[in-house]
Amino acid sequence: MKRRPDRREFLKLAATGLALAGVPAGLLRAAAASPVRKAIPTSGEMLPVIGLGTWRTFNVGSDPQLLAERTEVVRAFFQHGGGLVDCSPMYGSAADTMGYALRKLGTPDSLFSADKVWGPAGGSAREQVARQAQRWGIETFDLMQVHNLSNWRDYLDVLRELKAAGKIRYIGITTSHGRRHREFEQVMASEDIDFAQLTYNITHREAEERLLPLARERGIAVIANRPYDGGALIKGLKRREQVPQWAVEECGSSTWADFLLKFIISHPAVSCAIPATTRVDHLNENMRAGRKPLPSPRCRQRMIEFIESL
Amino acid sequence: MSDWDSYRLQDFVPFSAEVYFRLQERMGEAFWPLHLAMLAAGAAALFLALRGRRRLACLLLAPAWAFVGVAYFLQRYGNLNWAGDYLGWAFIGEGGLLAVLAAIPGGAATRVPRATLPVIVGTTLATAGLLAWPLIALLFGYAWLHAETFGIHPTPTAVTTLGLLLIASRGAALWLAALIPLLWIALSGLTLTVLGAGWAPAVFVVLALGLGALVWKSAVTGQR
Repeated sequence: MKRRPDRREFLKLAATGLALAGVPAGLLRAAAASPVRKAIPTSGEMLPVIGLGTWRTFNVGSDPQLLAERTEVVRAFFQHGGGLVDCSPMYGSAADTMGYALRKLGTPDSLFSADKVWGPAGGSAREQVARQAQRWGIETFDLMQVHNLSNWRDYLDVLRELKAAGKIRYIGITTSHGRRHREFEQVMASEDIDFAQLTYNITHREAEERLLPLARERGIAVIANRPYDGGALIKGLKRREQVPQWAVEECGSSTWADFLLKFIISHPAVSCAIPATTRVDHLNENMRAGRKPLPSPRCRQRMIEFIESL
Repeated sequence: MSDWDSYRLQDFVPFSAEVYFRLQERMGEAFWPLHLAMLAAGAAALFLALRGRRRLACLLLAPAWAFVGVAYFLQRYGNLNWAGDYLGWAFIGEGGLLAVLAAIPGGAATRVPRATLPVIVGTTLATAGLLAWPLIALLFGYAWLHAETFGIHPTPTAVTTLGLLLIASRGAALWLAALIPLLWIALSGLTLTVLGAGWAPAVFVVLALGLGALVWKSAVTGQR
């Protein structure tokens, strides 16, 4: 029986063919390494599956040394083809840090700017959106979310008006740490929203029961926050364990970042995971996890069983 | 606001340990050698309180609180935490309150304090705030510019003030003036706990000592 070439063999064959045809090898490598993208259900627009969170990590005030370091993280993110960057008025100076980085680097076409409105930040929703856009140094946001369901009825009304006026492209709601899932589900079921952001990782899979199936049914894109459970999950694994060989061979996961992030983004309902980091080497690891192959359903189950056995 | 019950302690510390300790260092870089003048003012306030010159002691504390309110909270911490501006105004308000206690004859005690338990605890806390607090950073491996100092950083300012109030004040004035230092020490302990700082438990020990001495002093004063 004739064996079909696997992916690696196929790329080698293609490279040989294209090299013979005069296509530069660098272009081919870039195509092979490009991030996996998933469609936003309400528009079909493709979004890279690994984004960038800014909670805690980008809140550095006016410290020039730390601003320069975070700018390098943003530079590496876009060099890897990154898209979605998520922020909030709750995150202190994180929006100013993004503004600083974009002024230094320019605003790449791939940027998918996501921010939030949040009651305690003060001012109306319109004022908050305008203030955050000013801090980022951008004209319009791609996505504006209601943070932690704060005053969500009023805020969603305003965000819909802003979307209709072309000031923002998508609207959504957020929660984290498994908070207020029942109310979150009600909003997902009853309101016209494009995105739902929630906590989903291999040790916190409550969203699999109702929220992720509902997102698929309603055509809502899902952003998974806290992919490393605030950092504790990956730090603990890196300290204690080696990535098992079967995960390398069967799930394409040679690092713990691969293992944890590929698990999340391989869920059919999840559009994007948003790990946060202060370090370029960690950012590189995160972005590599957004490339193929992604684990199969059988492999995902084995990943769960492995983590639960620790 | 009903939303608040869904937040956790970690949500109120929106910065990393790296950024927090860099803030302490930036205060050191920006204001050195003001530290020496502030320490001298704090030591003078302790000396005056123990000699019975208590209104003057309160007067020396007031500008330290106002300075920390503006330079630490409004100008720096406020960039990192949306609650920073409120804390800045609370510190400025505490400075104003201490100035009022210094101005009103009945606002602070006037006799030389006897060596009662609250006075002993107060002296211990004030000495710890002035001398021991700057050493914590060094003990935990940070550079000397990280050293938290009375009149420059909020926690040693609050600890020293709490100690001096235990020596120099009593009754409603004592509780009124001790409220913000107590709240800040509690917040500082919680912040350090979230950030995983090794000395966070020591902050809660200081809080418990101060609160216990306050209750003791109020109970004893109330019996007279």
